[in-house]
Amino acid sequence: MLPSIHTFNLLLPFFYLATFAIYFYDFQQGGKKFENSKRVFLFITLLVHFLYVLLRTIEFNHPPITNVFEIFTVLAFAISFAYFILELVTDIRGTGPFIIIISIVFQIISTFFIQDLAEVKEVLRSNLLGTHVISALIGYSGITISAVYGVLYLILYNEIKLNKFGLIFNRLPSLEILERMSFIAAIIGFVFLSITITIGIIWLPKAFTQFSYLDPKLIGTFAVWILYGIGLINKFLGKWRGKKLIILSILGFTLAILSTILTNFLAKSFHSFY
Amino acid sequence: MNLLGISINHRTAPVELREALHLSEEEIRKFIQQTKDSAFAEGIIISTCNRTEIYAIPKNDKTNLKDLENLIKNYKSSFEVKDENFQHFISRESIEHLFRVACGIESLLIGDNQIFKQVKDSFQISEEMGFAGALIRRVMDAATHVGKRAINETAISEGAVTVSYAAVQLVEKIFSNLQKKSALIIGTGETGEIAAKHLRDRGIGRLALTNRSFEKAEKLAAELNTAVFPFANFKEHLHKFDIVVSATSAEGLILTKQDIEAAMKKRNYASMVLMDIAIPRDIDPESKKIDYVFYHDIDSLNIIVEQNLSKRKNEIAKVEKIIQEEIDNFFEWYNSLEAAPTIKTLRDYFESVRAEEVEKNINKFSEDDKEKLEIITKRIINKILHHPTIELRKMSESDLRAEDTAAKISIIRNLFGLDSKSKED
Repeated sequence: MLPSIHTFNLLLPFFYLATFAIYFYDFQQGGKKFENSKRVFLFITLLVHFLYVLLRTIEFNHPPITNVFEIFTVLAFAISFAYFILELVTDIRGTGPFIIIISIVFQIISTFFIQDLAEVKEVLRSNLLGTHVISALIGYSGITISAVYGVLYLILYNEIKLNKFGLIFNRLPSLEILERMSFIAAIIGFVFLSITITIGIIWLPKAFTQFSYLDPKLIGTFAVWILYGIGLINKFLGKWRGKKLIILSILGFTLAILSTILTNFLAKSFHSFY
Repeated sequence: MNLLGISINHRTAPVELREALHLSEEEIRKFIQQTKDSAFAEGIIISTCNRTEIYAIPKNDKTNLKDLENLIKNYKSSFEVKDENFQHFISRESIEHLFRVACGIESLLIGDNQIFKQVKDSFQISEEMGFAGALIRRVMDAATHVGKRAINETAISEGAVTVSYAAVQLVEKIFSNLQKKSALIIGTGETGEIAAKHLRDRGIGRLALTNRSFEKAEKLAAELNTAVFPFANFKEHLHKFDIVVSATSAEGLILTKQDIEAAMKKRNYASMVLMDIAIPRDIDPESKKIDYVFYHDIDSLNIIVEQNLSKRKNEIAKVEKIIQEEIDNFFEWYNSLEAAPTIKTLRDYFESVRAEEVEKNINKFSEDDKEKLEIITKRIINKILHHPTIELRKMSESDLRAEDTAAKISIIRNLFGLDSKSKED
């Protein structure tokens, strides 16, 4: 099974790149030529990716969520899968390339650095860890998608303000839709990050003797959670809207990325498994 | 094929003449009645604000394009129409021009799909007046097919190409659902009225009007079933609207940046679209600097229009390819209406039916009878087809007009489904 896993690992970036290419071509050219076939491409890529994750789980006897590079491949899958569902449900087709490119980045990093880990620490075989990581993955997918739609909102907002009626203007959905999608994704992100943090606070002190509330990953995630919390409360109170909320979402995403880099690659703590 | 066509359009005649030669539905009906009784057997008349076109099949070979020209000249005798005001088409050229018109690539606004509907309506009138024979029906079927293909397979009709549609396109890039939005129209002149009607047609949730002359605003409001604000105090209500369209003939600014700022504060900076389609402008362009205010004037809307027109022009080559394919298909069908190929297809069809039935039942017969069965069934088919074959040959050798022969052959082909058979083969 190992050769198949290695082949899938090498092929996955190409699958994502091909899917991105067809989505980007369709975005640039418009028309109906690839309107439906690009979905088929994305579906095939997701299917291959799912098989890869499944094979890894069977072969190494644990789901690929025990270190950052395993998590990156699942994150790449989760982001594109979330977009696939979003495209099917909303029939908004013009935003694909901007989401899929995020999956490409995560998958390429994973492909290069992922290792065959048959042995993992006993603590990482806990069911609570599974729930903790999966909810974190969904949460981070949510804030990633929220940030992408946020960036698209800002670009379209400026294009309309400056009377630039190019590709972005022609292909993207309305500002209201982009704002709403960014908001819904942010809510999903916030809810799942809340679950992640709650499980973390309950489980981590029991699982790790060297647990500390000053752990950088914990602080980073908590900061991201507070930022989104402030934004969502103000949105619900009707105080903030549009650009302000979008900028907050992008800041939250940037903070999440910086926190991931800092905690996984720069600062060593009990919370780093790489 | 003796299909004659004449056209007076924006390329050949000034707007005054085009307007003068425009035929209303009633006039078209009268015109057809007169034409039917004179030199033309069947045809179609298309008349829009930008073109008047007549396509007709003469009753005899002596009738020509000049006779067709004279028909319209005589019908609208009070206007002077020169020869250069006409475009002329014969046979294949007529078909090609009609297809081009149906696709909108001959329109002043390239890709205008209104013309497609107008062409279909014109055919409807011809049918009702008994002026559409088998050939015109087939020509119009093909024209409709070409028009549909152009719309579905190319982007020839995509994007707004008028300022008012561009304004709606722009609004739809900001708001996702116009049903939940409200709009105020300032100025109820022609431009304001068109804008109000466009917004209503796009399903705007709430529409209100204001105008210096309150009576005029009330009149339009009654027609559109909308609210009216007195011009003197409409600014007090400005914050209630997501879209403001201004189209007055006022010399100075009606809405200053301060007015907009005040309204935005009251609406807690919810997005507001300002469409200033007045010349000179009604709204201070500096308003665009306010957050969540989307200010657009005629110039910015014209950018959208120009871009879309340019995109449509780039689609013409694709549409022309479709037209050529469909002309080839049409003439493939038309040429099949000659007697010789029809006789052959008809005989082949009967022979295939006979052979199929014999094959199905051959085992029910003894070895001796099998040969007899072949001979007898072939003889039956020959006897059945003897008279139609003779008649078809006579038809092609007689002095009948080619169009009449074609029409008769077309009936035979339709009755026996020979066209679909030929395609299957």
